Amino acid sequence: MADAALKASHFYILLALSVEDRHGLAIARDVQALSDGRVRLWPATLYGSLEELRDRRWIEELSEHPADESERRRYYRLTRAGRHALAAEAEHMSHVARLARSRVRPRSGEAR
Amino acid sequence: MSARRHHPLYRALLRLAPAPLRDTHANEMEALFAERLDEARRIGPSAVARTWMHGASDVLHARAASWARRGTPLTIAIEERNALMVGSDFRYALRSLGRQKSATALVICMLSLGIAANVAVFSLVNGLFLRPFPFAHPDRLVYINETAPKWNLEIVGINYPDFVRWREQQKLFESIALYSTDSFNLSDANGAERVRGAQVTWEFPRVLGVQPILGRCFTADEDKPKGPPVVVIGEALWKERFAGDRNVVGKTLRLDGASRTIVGVVPSTASFPDDVRLWVPMAGDPNQPYQSYGADGIGRLKPGVTAGDADKDLQRSHQSIWDKSDRDHTVSPFVKPLREQFVRDYRTAASTVTGAVAMLLLIACANVAAVMLARALARRKEMGIRLALGSSRLRLMQQLLIENLVLAAIGGVIGLVAGQWATGALVRMIPDELPRWAAFQIDARVMVFSLAVVVFTVLLFGWAPALHAVGGDVRSAVHATNGSTGAPRGRRTLWFLVAGEFALAAMLLVCGTLLIKAFDRVRHVDPGFRADHVLTFSVPISEATRPRQEQWVAFWDQLLERTRAVPGVDAAGLITCPPLGCHWGNFYDVDGAIPSPDGKDPVVLTRVASAGYFEAMGLRLRSGRFLQEADGRDKNPPVVIVNESFVRTFWGANASGVGRRIKFRGKDAKWMTVVGVVGDVKHYGLERPMRPGLYFPLPAIPRSTLTMAVHTTVDPQSIAATMREMVRQLDPELPVFGVRTMEESLRRSLALRAAFSWMLAVFAFLAFVLAIGGAYGVATYLVTQRTREIGIRVALGARTEDILKNVAGRGLSVVGAGVACGIIGSLGVARLLADALFGVSPADVTVLAFVTAVLVGTALMANGLPARRAARIDPMRSLRTE
Repeated sequence: MADAALKASHFYILLALSVEDRHGLAIARDVQALSDGRVRLWPATLYGSLEELRDRRWIEELSEHPADESERRRYYRLTRAGRHALAAEAEHMSHVARLARSRVRPRSGEAR
Repeated sequence: MSARRHHPLYRALLRLAPAPLRDTHANEMEALFAERLDEARRIGPSAVARTWMHGASDVLHARAASWARRGTPLTIAIEERNALMVGSDFRYALRSLGRQKSATALVICMLSLGIAANVAVFSLVNGLFLRPFPFAHPDRLVYINETAPKWNLEIVGINYPDFVRWREQQKLFESIALYSTDSFNLSDANGAERVRGAQVTWEFPRVLGVQPILGRCFTADEDKPKGPPVVVIGEALWKERFAGDRNVVGKTLRLDGASRTIVGVVPSTASFPDDVRLWVPMAGDPNQPYQSYGADGIGRLKPGVTAGDADKDLQRSHQSIWDKSDRDHTVSPFVKPLREQFVRDYRTAASTVTGAVAMLLLIACANVAAVMLARALARRKEMGIRLALGSSRLRLMQQLLIENLVLAAIGGVIGLVAGQWATGALVRMIPDELPRWAAFQIDARVMVFSLAVVVFTVLLFGWAPALHAVGGDVRSAVHATNGSTGAPRGRRTLWFLVAGEFALAAMLLVCGTLLIKAFDRVRHVDPGFRADHVLTFSVPISEATRPRQEQWVAFWDQLLERTRAVPGVDAAGLITCPPLGCHWGNFYDVDGAIPSPDGKDPVVLTRVASAGYFEAMGLRLRSGRFLQEADGRDKNPPVVIVNESFVRTFWGANASGVGRRIKFRGKDAKWMTVVGVVGDVKHYGLERPMRPGLYFPLPAIPRSTLTMAVHTTVDPQSIAATMREMVRQLDPELPVFGVRTMEESLRRSLALRAAFSWMLAVFAFLAFVLAIGGAYGVATYLVTQRTREIGIRVALGARTEDILKNVAGRGLSVVGAGVACGIIGSLGVARLLADALFGVSPADVTVLAFVTAVLVGTALMANGLPARRAARIDPMRSLRTE
């Protein structure tokens, strides 16, 4: 799957899972924190994205749940392919960012 | 924060989410949403609302995305697998409605229109008839007054000594009270203002159950002759005059030139029955003889007592008065529920308009049913295939009903919003005609009503399409092609719906046209005065600053003199009660009166007028002369002017009045000579009969509050400011109030009838448009279905006329039958309106002919146009339609 750009929701979910395995609610909280509150994943978007990412085999559901959490929560783990996709996306984004910076001249007095 | 993990509303919303998502993640999705809600609750209600919007759009977005992935035409088998899931039915309904955008929009328009009209009218009815009065236990409040049929008075007003007797004798009331609305000159350093107030007996606030905001209400001791000068002010006055000062109790208020101490402030809800801003004690004296009738009464019943029981209780209390001074029972008290008294003017209007909008809704439903049925017939093939694939008929019906429910719900929401808007517009149109206590906001009753209307419409327009779509056998349905005619049973139902629409539209149109005709007739009633170029305004002399009657006469002379000198004024005069104004009745001994055939002793409308009034108001002189400056002054012989009704009532139809004599009742009253007879004016309104009336010359019976009538050669409004300034220069403490032209007074007197008639006319017109639209739609649909057949006929040599006759003939005969039923029905319905028709016959031939002609004429077009189009189609093309 070599999409030009990853959906923002997918990117943030992968990012949240890159640190540790989490369940959906924790992903939503983490994404909100990662993005300084700018990105909020709403339920249907979040779980819809999780389904899609799983279909792409970028994430997988943990078969064993950590003991302390209630049973019904599904935990997800980033797969090797997912980690790869995340890295590729980050590379792509930094490339785009470089391109943008070179075109948009910073205003005078503003640090580069 | 309470974390509610299961939110039923969100759970319902989740039904819209794609099934795989919902099945796997519903619990977690709810948990996440609950967390978002908790977060939002900490911020505020608008954040909660935003969260809901986000949540809903999130789910809908997922829904849409899943559709987009799947592609539109789903295989029927997959749909069937979800058989009993209502959620999938909703999806299906949305999709199938979305496919036929114009038909859906049309149906929603018609439904919203019907529902909006019903919501608007119901809000009015709710405000007037159903919403409780803003007092504690309003069902125990009653209206009390006295009636005297012998005096030709349905409501006389209560006599104070009678009230005092009732108060002592009654057993079934917690308390009773009198009130009498009045207006006062409220003056201070900033100038004078006329404010509405009421004189009340001390029990008044207790009867209504009003608690003061500040201070207290009156005590029994304050409500006695020569009691202390006190006043209770209303919230509005308190805020305006005293800026809501909490130390207002104990301050004084200058009323009619005298100071009164404020003892309390009551909330605006106490402002009953009308815009009353302050209250003073009535301070009546039961021992004074010959007191007038005029107050209104209210009572609070003991729990469990009915108005009927209370009525008997009051009659019993009144017995001693009858025994002592009124053996003929001329005046008797009555009790009725409070609301009945205050809504009696609206009753006919409300029931008629309610009936009209109900009919409008029926027509809208019939129309929608026709559209849905036509769609269902067109979908017979699809339904047939689904039946063939093993789908149950019940399932299909359920699905169609859900489609209707979706339509009705959308129509209901739009209708509710539009209806609320329309209510507001209506209330703004006739603000003076609606009682102040009535509130017309949306409440639980309106919501329940709207919901009931929606359910009703679903059932009503859902049955026909649902039955037809799933009736019939599978084989014929599967073989049905678009070019062939629909099932005959379906066509019959379509025509039945059209006929029903026309019957209802005919009834509404007849009633609407009759009312407009009646309104026109009322508008053209001769009022007996000249309405154009007449300005009236009232001035109250303060009796505290001008205690003697000579001073009043001098003031009025001065005011008249100055008024007449104003450029543009060519006549001016003063009167106690101008036409369409108040009533002051009296009884007289009439010299040579013929005995009344039914033993009645009719009350005489008594007015006091200055010279010049008759000319200014444009009254007609029948014989003798008008009042002159010298009348009533010095030692001039006492004179009086009477109206035609007076002459007719007391002296006979052809008698002449001039030169005859009348006098007040009582031993030492002097005879007065009639010097002139004037034409009747429609004093109580253009639709009301006139009473016998007379005019005394002002100097003979001086009055402190009078209304000036000015006839102008210029626009009467243009001199209003001059008049105010003139009065202010004469006495800055005197307010000028009730400034309006006679044309405006006339318009106001007709406002209720105008609003009522026009509302019905508008509803009738909408019904007409809907019915014609329905007929046109059905005719077009059926012709389209027959395109192939018509093509064959044309190819075989049928002429255009034959096709026209064949195609349009059926439609016309259906419309004809519908209109005929409607006209017959309207003969019955219009009879219910007879009271409001002002002499127009409920079976008015021109109206019936007009309505028939309009309906049949337009139906001819509605049926003829599609038929002509069909007849002109090139047979080669129509035969190829499939």
